[in-house]
Amino acid sequence: MINAATPLLDVRDLTVTINRDGRLVTALDKVSFFVNPGEVLGIVGESGAGKSITGAAIIDLLVPPLKRTGGTITLAGERLDQLSPKAMRGVRGGKIGFVFQDPMTSLNPVITIGQQLCDTIQAHLRLGGSLTKKRALDWLDRVGLPNPDVQFKRYPHQLSGGMRQRVVIALALCADPALVIADEPTTALDVSVQAHILELLRDLHRESNVSMMLITHDLGVIAKMADRVAVLYAGRVAEIGPAGELFNAPKHPYTRGLIRATPMPSATGEMRLDQIPGAMPGLGAVPPGCAFNPRCFRAEGDCRATIPPLYHEESSAFSCFHPLERVTA
Amino acid sequence: MLNYAASRIVQTIIVLLVISFIAFLLVANIGDPLAALLSADATVNERLELIAKLGLDQPLWTRFLHFIGNMLQGDFGFSYRTQDPVANLIAERLPATVELAFVSLLITIVVGVPAGIYCGVNPNSLFGRFIMLISTAGITLPNFVVGILLIAVFSVQLGLLPSFGRGTVVDLGFWKTGLLSVSGWRAIFLPAATLSTFQVAFIIRMLRTQLMEVGQSEHIRFARARGLSEARIWYVYAIKNTLLPVITMLGLQLGNIIAFSVVTENVFAWPGLGSLFLQSIQGADIPVIAIYLIFVGLVFMVINLIVELLYPLIDARVLRRQS
Repeated sequence: MINAATPLLDVRDLTVTINRDGRLVTALDKVSFFVNPGEVLGIVGESGAGKSITGAAIIDLLVPPLKRTGGTITLAGERLDQLSPKAMRGVRGGKIGFVFQDPMTSLNPVITIGQQLCDTIQAHLRLGGSLTKKRALDWLDRVGLPNPDVQFKRYPHQLSGGMRQRVVIALALCADPALVIADEPTTALDVSVQAHILELLRDLHRESNVSMMLITHDLGVIAKMADRVAVLYAGRVAEIGPAGELFNAPKHPYTRGLIRATPMPSATGEMRLDQIPGAMPGLGAVPPGCAFNPRCFRAEGDCRATIPPLYHEESSAFSCFHPLERVTA
Repeated sequence: MLNYAASRIVQTIIVLLVISFIAFLLVANIGDPLAALLSADATVNERLELIAKLGLDQPLWTRFLHFIGNMLQGDFGFSYRTQDPVANLIAERLPATVELAFVSLLITIVVGVPAGIYCGVNPNSLFGRFIMLISTAGITLPNFVVGILLIAVFSVQLGLLPSFGRGTVVDLGFWKTGLLSVSGWRAIFLPAATLSTFQVAFIIRMLRTQLMEVGQSEHIRFARARGLSEARIWYVYAIKNTLLPVITMLGLQLGNIIAFSVVTENVFAWPGLGSLFLQSIQGADIPVIAIYLIFVGLVFMVINLIVELLYPLIDARVLRRQS
């Protein structure tokens, strides 16, 4: 474990609002977390919890009317939230790579794979033409595409979904970023292909020691990949902690609910599945107090009155007045 | 690619045959060549002789094949009105119209494409909104109004440009061009500008809509997330996605101008195909109208063919849809 005192990415009180006909609605409410060098941080939550917004906000790629309205983002000592658009362009792709969700729509259909790679490399690294091409071919090879020379000249429509996602990963990593944000990198793929892509991401992470923010709703993916996990609920952080600790002894009732709602065979081979009653509140409909209180079996008066702060323990933090005991089975 | 080209060419030929057949039916069924060619006191024998000579006693299909065969040998028949070969009439008028069409296409590309890109990239800028406002006028004003306005300003008020004719024409033997003399260029400017008004406005609006749509797409967002420059994103990554509809429109418009610039040619007394077509309709000159119809079909089909053969060079997905 690397010293947690110098995180690579430090996000504090990140707030994103959406302007709905003049009414400001909070989409992300003071989200704080950090990513250590070489670490994989999983970001997990239901749809609409603010996972993707978090990723997009870090590289300032929010789609209007979403807007970042507060908080600080620091990457290796540099304040990203204060950068000029031009400097931000150097960060995107150069220091932070971004893996998009759907490989069917995220590649330009009328430009060859090779050209897209070379353009991306040239935007960040000053290499000559032949070195750029060599690097592009290397990356096609590294992400496991056969015959890089052939693929280099092909168009996205000539590749399968899995192959395209490999190209997307190469595009995100080809300029040697220090951090990769992967936003649901396997959600749009066939189950059989998902495992290969995850394996590829893990191998690349081990080879290059790049840090990773893995955004997903799939706890199975988190369990395979992540060192630490941040659980998001209705635009707030519910709990952050090392993956093993969080899975075995969740502190926040929501985290436990999420784990129990994931189908996993028990030791005896039977499947257990408990769903959390109710549904996550939509944008602008977050109840006062803890956002989870209407669905929580431990909720009391204080939960309905004030938003619980993040309570920090040595390696973890949770936002709950009545946390589950560590020893609960 | 070869398959694609071959199938496009075969399609073109089939459509041209169908058009020729319709034009042939026109010639075969409207008007009475015997009445025009025989004297009033001709005998029944003379009449039968002429029928046999013209092949009018043959079945329809034989006559159609004969018609096609003649056309392939350059024999397009004779005008009822002037008794001249139709081929000569068209060849005489063609250069004026083709030159007019190409100059107006040039104006469209030089003015419309940059302005359209500007409006697509900066849809909310003041200048972009101004261009859109002007282009609304360009879309809605009819050609003859634009032409008359231009004449009123540039010919009558300012006296800068001539209001009719082609200026000095240089005969190259096979082609009489007005583009080799200063007076020719001065003469072509107003009619070409008139014709391109609508095209410019149309291309601006189309490019703008296309670019705004592509700008929202996921692959452009991904290109931004990789730190590509805005210039590269717009002028290469986005533009290339809008080219197919744009060149399709430009091709169709070029065909439209060559075939149907009747009104503008009339306003500027431009000695082109449009005026010939108008005169032929007034004189019920069926052979000329028929050949003109086939010619228009040919122009559209050839332009369309060229455009379609360009498609795979821009977007390779076209070939996949084929197979």
